[in-house]
Amino acid sequence: MVSRTTAQARTEPKPAPREWRRFKFPESLYKWAGLMAALLFLSYSIVYLNIPLERFFNMFGRVGTLITDRYYPPEMEYVTEPDYLSSVFDTIQMAYLGALFGMAAAIPLGWFGSYNMTPSRRFVYPFARFVAMCTRAVHETIWAILFVTILGFGMMAGVLALTMFCIGFAGKLFAEEIEAIDMGPVEAIRSTGASELAVMVYGVFPQVRVAFTGIGIYTWDVAFRAATVVGFFGAGGMGWYLKRNVLQIETTRVSAILVSIILLVLVSEAVSAWARARVAKAK
Amino acid sequence: MSILSVRDLRVRYSASGPEILKGISFDVEADDFFAIIGPSGAGKSTLIRCINRLVEPISGKITLYGTDVLSLNSRKLRRLRRDIGMIFQEFNLVDRMSVMDNVLSGRLGYVSNFTALFRLFSKEDIGSALSVLDRVGLSDHVDKRADQLSGGQRQRVGIARALMQNPKLLLLDEPTSSLDPKISREVMALIIEIAAEYKVPILCNIHDVQLALEFCNKIIGLQDGVKMFDGPTSKMNSKKLDEIYAMEVL
Repeated sequence: MVSRTTAQARTEPKPAPREWRRFKFPESLYKWAGLMAALLFLSYSIVYLNIPLERFFNMFGRVGTLITDRYYPPEMEYVTEPDYLSSVFDTIQMAYLGALFGMAAAIPLGWFGSYNMTPSRRFVYPFARFVAMCTRAVHETIWAILFVTILGFGMMAGVLALTMFCIGFAGKLFAEEIEAIDMGPVEAIRSTGASELAVMVYGVFPQVRVAFTGIGIYTWDVAFRAATVVGFFGAGGMGWYLKRNVLQIETTRVSAILVSIILLVLVSEAVSAWARARVAKAK
Repeated sequence: MSILSVRDLRVRYSASGPEILKGISFDVEADDFFAIIGPSGAGKSTLIRCINRLVEPISGKITLYGTDVLSLNSRKLRRLRRDIGMIFQEFNLVDRMSVMDNVLSGRLGYVSNFTALFRLFSKEDIGSALSVLDRVGLSDHVDKRADQLSGGQRQRVGIARALMQNPKLLLLDEPTSSLDPKISREVMALIIEIAAEYKVPILCNIHDVQLALEFCNKIIGLQDGVKMFDGPTSKMNSKKLDEIYAMEVL
């Protein structure tokens, strides 16, 4: 019986394997057409911008000679002068104030701009989202130029530029964090007859406190990096020294300043990573 | 004389969505332990949330101690909510706050925003929080964080928080579904004792029919937003139960 069926199976023609395609007809067309369009646009942009690719490949050799000829050794005495060091200190304080003011404004903005907790979904929510979007749409250097034009050179312009930047940056992250909370405790606090402010303080804030602290540290970190360049436009801090030395072609001083910025950013990054890890553990 | 009357209550969550409650009416008396039973998806939680307007019905009438609940503006609604304690299936405690702060949050309907913001609760509030915690048997856990407690203990915190409101009605939304059978029974027994002490009527969602038959004096049975049974527990029998739970809800 068994042998007969196997023999039979051997003599019968093998059925063709059944077909299956991951992308059925219209989707497969869109997919390939999309890929072709992206490649076409890539080659078009290279031709249109007249990018000489051979120079790109020669670049790496030139970078080495340029650095050894002009930027090396960095003039480290320059960055240890008291004038420059005080500008570094200015930059740190500017970042601190900008981040602090920015976050103070970003907390209500995050509340109003979170879909689940906003006081009014029809009016307040879109308005808060719009404000956050506007402050983020304008780059921090543009804010710096704007405030320098209005307020004149100095720290004030820099602090305000960073504040605007932090409002949008932290506000969006705060809103997203509030949208991710568990609504159960909110419902419970609301059912006690608490006001919306009390619901925020008791039902929402304990749930987002750790995340907000992490975002706050991160915001300060990003604000510090932004603070090193706003000085370029006269808004205070070490950026001004960078600009002056670039214009005066004091290349070894420029490299010294760049080294100092890189070191400071690395330190701030390490501090913020450490602090965020500590906060995350302190749940 | 009924203290809570619900007439022809209808709810839908969106204009085009299905009707969740299709004209529910019932009355709760001053000494009732009133159970709402029915299969999952019957609308029990929705019904109970209409009483303090965590869910807004589209039509109907709710009267609580002579107040027309559905016509209140938001300020008066908050006043009304202080009188209605609520206990939840998932406890709904704020995990990262201490037991004490969770219990004190039951007073939030009575204090100003300033008091709430800086947690400046009065000596009387703190005193009554401590004695309520004593009553539910948690006096050793006052300063612990809420997420360090076991399920049964967490529900006791929920009960304490509701009692801090000096409620005139307790709403229980599946208070025992997250608990094991033994603890469920203990928690139900505690609630029924407390209801007698505070002389507060209870409206309770429960899907554990056995517990409902054991602890409650009146039952309504919901099925797919329609009331299938309304009467004292003694009139409930297995045939009627089968009817209520007949429809399979996926």
